[in-house]
Amino acid sequence: MKEELPFDHEPDAQLGAALREALAPQGHDAFVARVVAGFTTPRAGSWDVLAGWAGRGIAAAALLALGAGFAAGRVMQPAASIEEALLTAPADSGTAAAAVMRGDNPPDASIVFAIRP
Amino acid sequence: MSRDPQPQAGGPRIELREEAELVTRSLAGDRTAFGALVERYAAQARRVARAFLRDPDDADDAAQDAFLSALVKLEQYDPRRPFGPWLMRIVANAATDRRRRRSVRSAEPLDPGVVGGGPRPDTAAERSALSERLRQALAELPERRRLAVVLFDVEGYSHAEIAGMLKIPEGTVRSEVFHARRKLRTLLEDWREPS
Repeated sequence: MKEELPFDHEPDAQLGAALREALAPQGHDAFVARVVAGFTTPRAGSWDVLAGWAGRGIAAAALLALGAGFAAGRVMQPAASIEEALLTAPADSGTAAAAVMRGDNPPDASIVFAIRP
Repeated sequence: MSRDPQPQAGGPRIELREEAELVTRSLAGDRTAFGALVERYAAQARRVARAFLRDPDDADDAAQDAFLSALVKLEQYDPRRPFGPWLMRIVANAATDRRRRRSVRSAEPLDPGVVGGGPRPDTAAERSALSERLRQALAELPERRRLAVVLFDVEGYSHAEIAGMLKIPEGTVRSEVFHARRKLRTLLEDWREPS
């Protein structure tokens, strides 16, 4: 046993050995197996997670953009011309009149007068 | 002062580089690498946990919690530093948490005969009795003192490393080790001296 000094920098080998024996755990292999059995792949880094998502994200974004473009195209598609509406719609349906009212430009007079009432 | 933080008997010292490699492989999902780390530090972690928790099963549960918690936090480990102190800090936290969660019964009063001397512990039974009395004596110490002496005299960590683990000044670590030794040495001396 070493002399008791308040500023002792070295471990006390004898005390350490006695304490080590006193605290000695049993069943080392079983404990290690138990801990390792709980092993799961550690959480990947945030950049890895983002990288994993990138492929699917790009594909999903492309599909979404495609769908949105298609829908917008349908909405933005110019309505049939007034002349076309006048020629195809039945005279008494009101569709032709509505087309005339909606139109920005006046219809071709020859078409208007060519339609039978 | 810096000393080998892994003076545990048996088993070769794992170099820093090798530890870092094991950590990297564990992070990549290599169970064998994680197993190697556990194998190396299991005994130490269990002893340190037992310095907190008298019940060996509780201590083992805390040590296991610590390893699995370390696995989750492995990305935060700085591979330029030794793995042991980093892990032991997690062990200390896990043991503290476990004791807080459970209402662990307080340490039994020290047997009046503990410091009263006795025959030399030559036989296995006597050594076992000495171990039990040392455990009782340890349990009588304040927690920080108990942990400081175990980390210093049993596990071989330096005062500076222990200060880092316990987040207390190095001088406080020295003081705690000194006071713990004074009590424990008295017990050992009494066992050594033939009555």
